[in-house]
Amino acid sequence: MSKIQEGLFYTEDHEWVRLEGNTVSIGITDFAQSSLGDIVFVELPEDGSDVSAGDSFGVVESIKSVSDLYSPVSGKVLEKNTPVEETPELINQQPFDAWLIKVEVQNTDEVTKLMDSQAYSDFCNQ
Amino acid sequence: MTLLRTRLYEEHIKQNAKMVDFAGWEMPIQYSNLKQEALAVREKVGVFDVSHMGEFFVEGPDAEKFLDNLLPNKVQGLSDYKALYSPLCNEEGKMLDDLIIYKFNSSKFMICVNASNIDNDFNWLSKQVNDYDCKLTNQSQQFSLLALQGPKAEDTLLKLNIGEQIKDLQYYCFQEANDLLIARTGYTGEDGFEIFGPHQKIIELWQQFMELEVEPCGLGARDILRLEVCFPLYGQELTKELTPLDCGLKWTVKLDKENFVGKTALENYQPKYQLIKLTVDKGIPRIGYEIIQNEESIGKVTSGTMSVVLNQGIALGLIDKNKYCPKEKIYVKIRNRLFEANRQTKAFVQGGHK
Repeated sequence: MSKIQEGLFYTEDHEWVRLEGNTVSIGITDFAQSSLGDIVFVELPEDGSDVSAGDSFGVVESIKSVSDLYSPVSGKVLEKNTPVEETPELINQQPFDAWLIKVEVQNTDEVTKLMDSQAYSDFCNQ
Repeated sequence: MTLLRTRLYEEHIKQNAKMVDFAGWEMPIQYSNLKQEALAVREKVGVFDVSHMGEFFVEGPDAEKFLDNLLPNKVQGLSDYKALYSPLCNEEGKMLDDLIIYKFNSSKFMICVNASNIDNDFNWLSKQVNDYDCKLTNQSQQFSLLALQGPKAEDTLLKLNIGEQIKDLQYYCFQEANDLLIARTGYTGEDGFEIFGPHQKIIELWQQFMELEVEPCGLGARDILRLEVCFPLYGQELTKELTPLDCGLKWTVKLDKENFVGKTALENYQPKYQLIKLTVDKGIPRIGYEIIQNEESIGKVTSGTMSVVLNQGIALGLIDKNKYCPKEKIYVKIRNRLFEANRQTKAFVQGGHK
């Protein structure tokens, strides 16, 4: 059974979003990392670039597969997680600590309309 | 269409295998973890169910003559109980399949073919066998097949009392023991055995391997392992659009033989393509990605993955010989960005086979 952390928001693409003021951190869930298997490569956008809700902002690759990362929010990338890019297995080890990017959002409604932990849990059990 | 299942299906489910469609068969792609499975074969021992592959028999006085006149590789003069790898070509010299033949004696051979080509190969061989005094049978339904691979494969097999003589079995040789055909062959580059036999015996063998804690390995690990040692795969590196001379199999084409199907075409053929080995320092090359030189596409990746041994992206690629300049840099296009590729002359990983 995969872990779900309370207090975060979740997308149907199995990403988690942490909202702090106008800043969100985005990562992939325990369910996602477990489905992918060993993650061996991560490609993330550069600091300062723009992301748009619904668009791909990077990829995670396991040995056998490539998966796009979709941004649930629009805004400017404040920071990408360089240690995770260098050591992608951190995502397998600590999916909820291994954030991928931090984004400054204009509209926090984009986040609060996402699933909460309970809704995501139900979504995974469907 | 309903997927076919090997007789080991229930055993795979017991081991929590993730099953996928492979050439119309429901096969285990992985059990625990891809990396763990692949490394088990490099370091210890793993076992694969490859019962989906096909087995034909050719029996009769002309068996050897028939196969020698059919295959580009040299069958005539092969010792008894030896195996031989060969492409199978049509009259145009194009590849229909790659296969391994096993010689019991000059009037009895077994042929092991790819699962996806069983019907086509059998039809093709049936047309060719007409003029020869030998009988061709498709016995694929009668056999299950396990590949036990890794440096501890011999130790593992010796524990089962199948016969001490397997210790003396050389690479690409085989023997018969208790209804089993045990060959020192494989598709991983490591030492190991491929064991053909009746279903019930093979199921029992699988169960014994599980008790001995042999790692069950899926097709995912098999693909990484074969690519690390640069073994081509029919359908990817080898296709019916190519001759063996286009894809690194020149060593299997014996043009000094009196005749074989496709010889005339191959004698006059100038290869258009070339198979190359690539590593990249960043990113993972995948099947279908373009290979670029001087801002022009010169070919495509035919197989690519992350090597679990090297922790690096590796690939085989088919390039256009006329466009390729050996001295100029080459790149792999990954998501519209160019990543410099390093051409390798040797296999990415040196397996430990006998």
